[in-house]
Amino acid sequence: MPIAKPAAERFNRPQRMVLGALACAATALIAAPLSGTLDLANMVMPFLLTVLLVAVGLGREAGIVAAVLAVVLFDVFFVPPRFSLAVSNLQYLITFAVMLATALLTAHLAAGLKRQAEVAGARERRSRALYEVARRLAGALAPGQVDEAVRAFVADELGGESRLRVDALPAPGAALAWFDEAAAARARETGQTLRPPAAPGTVYLPLAAPMAVRGVLALRLPPFAAGHDDEPALLEALASLAAIAIERLHYVEVAQRSELETATERLRSSVLSALSHDLRTPLTVLVGLADSLTLVKPPLPAPALETAAALRDQAARLAERVTKLLDMARLSAGPIRLRKEWQPLEEVVGSSLKLLQDALAGHPVRVELPAQLPLLAFDAVLIERVLCNLLDNAAKYSPPASGIAITAAIADGTVEVAVCDRGPGFPPGDDGHVFGMFVRGPLAANTPGTGLGLAICRAIVDAHGGTIRTETRSGGGACVVFGLPRGEPPRLELEVS
Amino acid sequence: MNEPVPRVLLVEDEAQIRRFVRLALEEEGCAVLEAGTLAAALAGAASAPPELAIVDLGLPDGSGVDFIRRLRGWSQAPVLVLSARTEEHDKINALDAGADDYLTKPFGVGELRARVRALLRRQPAAAAQPPQLAFGRVKVDLTQRRVERDGEPVHLTPTEYRLLVILLGHPGQVLTQRRLLREVWGASGGDNSHYLRIYISHLRQKLEDDPAQPRHILTETGVGYRFVT
Repeated sequence: MPIAKPAAERFNRPQRMVLGALACAATALIAAPLSGTLDLANMVMPFLLTVLLVAVGLGREAGIVAAVLAVVLFDVFFVPPRFSLAVSNLQYLITFAVMLATALLTAHLAAGLKRQAEVAGARERRSRALYEVARRLAGALAPGQVDEAVRAFVADELGGESRLRVDALPAPGAALAWFDEAAAARARETGQTLRPPAAPGTVYLPLAAPMAVRGVLALRLPPFAAGHDDEPALLEALASLAAIAIERLHYVEVAQRSELETATERLRSSVLSALSHDLRTPLTVLVGLADSLTLVKPPLPAPALETAAALRDQAARLAERVTKLLDMARLSAGPIRLRKEWQPLEEVVGSSLKLLQDALAGHPVRVELPAQLPLLAFDAVLIERVLCNLLDNAAKYSPPASGIAITAAIADGTVEVAVCDRGPGFPPGDDGHVFGMFVRGPLAANTPGTGLGLAICRAIVDAHGGTIRTETRSGGGACVVFGLPRGEPPRLELEVS
Repeated sequence: MNEPVPRVLLVEDEAQIRRFVRLALEEEGCAVLEAGTLAAALAGAASAPPELAIVDLGLPDGSGVDFIRRLRGWSQAPVLVLSARTEEHDKINALDAGADDYLTKPFGVGELRARVRALLRRQPAAAAQPPQLAFGRVKVDLTQRRVERDGEPVHLTPTEYRLLVILLGHPGQVLTQRRLLREVWGASGGDNSHYLRIYISHLRQKLEDDPAQPRHILTETGVGYRFVT
């Protein structure tokens, strides 16, 4: 116990009373020789002084004992007839009464003042210690330092033990005998301070920070500290300081993480952009120059023009694969950032068909969308890519002039979109294998492709929280069906025409 | 051949791309001025104001978007952007800076010529919009605020009509969502993008033969809309 105890606490109650009595006796012995030379009125004074000192030094009870004893000793030693309790002049009874009253009052006031001074002193010390722990917590860089600061405070100020249990961190390895998991969990749940009756002296305080409850502070206090008047307020202040420190550390970590993510994202994006630029520029030159050969005057002979057209087609196809590879790299290199907006599905179906009009030439395309399709929240650019890849596959793997269908249906919670062809279909029992990266169907060997189209589709649909699967079309052919969650479309206030 | 030859400023850092684009432009009867850097482009535009600018976004000494912004300070000549990037926000930035259309690399010569022709053709018309327009089976009389399809009047709500007029006023040009929102709903239109899509879909239902595969009101996914006659 590092705190120096006041004199009043160094002795127990009987000891203090005996000391008070002894002090009065000593006064009587010292003053006795002066009896006769000094006025009786003056002889009262040393006794009152003694009572005052006893009250200040030893507390109220010792003061009362001293006050009563002072009156008795004064009567016995100084009031004639001396060495007897008898009183010659009844006027002295008034003296006794006033003396007793004065002594008691003095004892009472002195003891009260002393007590107040002690309480103020203790409060000041606590405040300074709290300030000190607040300063340490404000500078803490890790939860471990918060724990240490709290532990030091509890040990120094209260002589107890503490354990900080933070939600976001794993429970510390070494178990404490007194720590009760169930009680800690209950305090965490209810957000109320808990003092389990079964384990007196233990306290579980929720770490209630401004934004959330962040954990529990468990304490075991020695009996004298646990019963203290301002103990609840003190512990609450401590728990609140610790909670704020933990929350501050939490947000520092969140900020650092998001900063790192942004930097990584920016780097990834700039690397991919540079790569895209460097790969596309020569392809642009190839496509453009091959095209330009058709403009040469005088016109080139037919075989040369055919070569130019073949060059152009191959360059364009290469460009398409580069796009797919870069798309896949972008989609698989980290979290996909969706620019989701509420929109009708019809629009993105239309723009996909327009983009693929060359590849789809010759295939009759049937679009069947329910009239009352709700708005869906999706990233139009990415869903357009899904539809383009599916339509491209449908055109590539189905016989010329065979029909392709885009249909949508409302299922519970989702809207399912299907792209179906009249090709050979998917091998039975494939179980989503075709959605893997660089996976190509057994019949695809003679068709150019990268094996990335469906993998890109799955990555995009997954990012939207949807599902994608293959089906066999009734009457022969393949279907790829993807579902997008319906969510809660915004309420619309449209003009009435 | 007394027709004035349109002057085209070609801003592109890759010499081989300049070569085939120049060939295609000359085939269209244009006089081509080439610039390989932002500085050269600004100097060229100042010395001989072009009737059309074709601008690559990634220049060695700056961004094509900067060039467009500066050019728009004093010229209304149409601008066609060549972009190697597929990121939609680059296109949106260029369009918001004042570009009229864009081509994503790689592009074919045929595509390029078609865009150039469209941009050069609409140039004189941009000054005054003719009061009567027709596309597909639709006739629009701007003086009468009348829209007809196959001779039958089509009823449009005020917002639909306003949107249609804006689209008709910029044939062939890509209008960004942001711009359409601002012009139809004013400054407060920022959050209305789903309304924009719904009114576009209404216009298609009322005016297009097949609203699911529109031929006049086209979507530039992630960027905006384009009206073609």
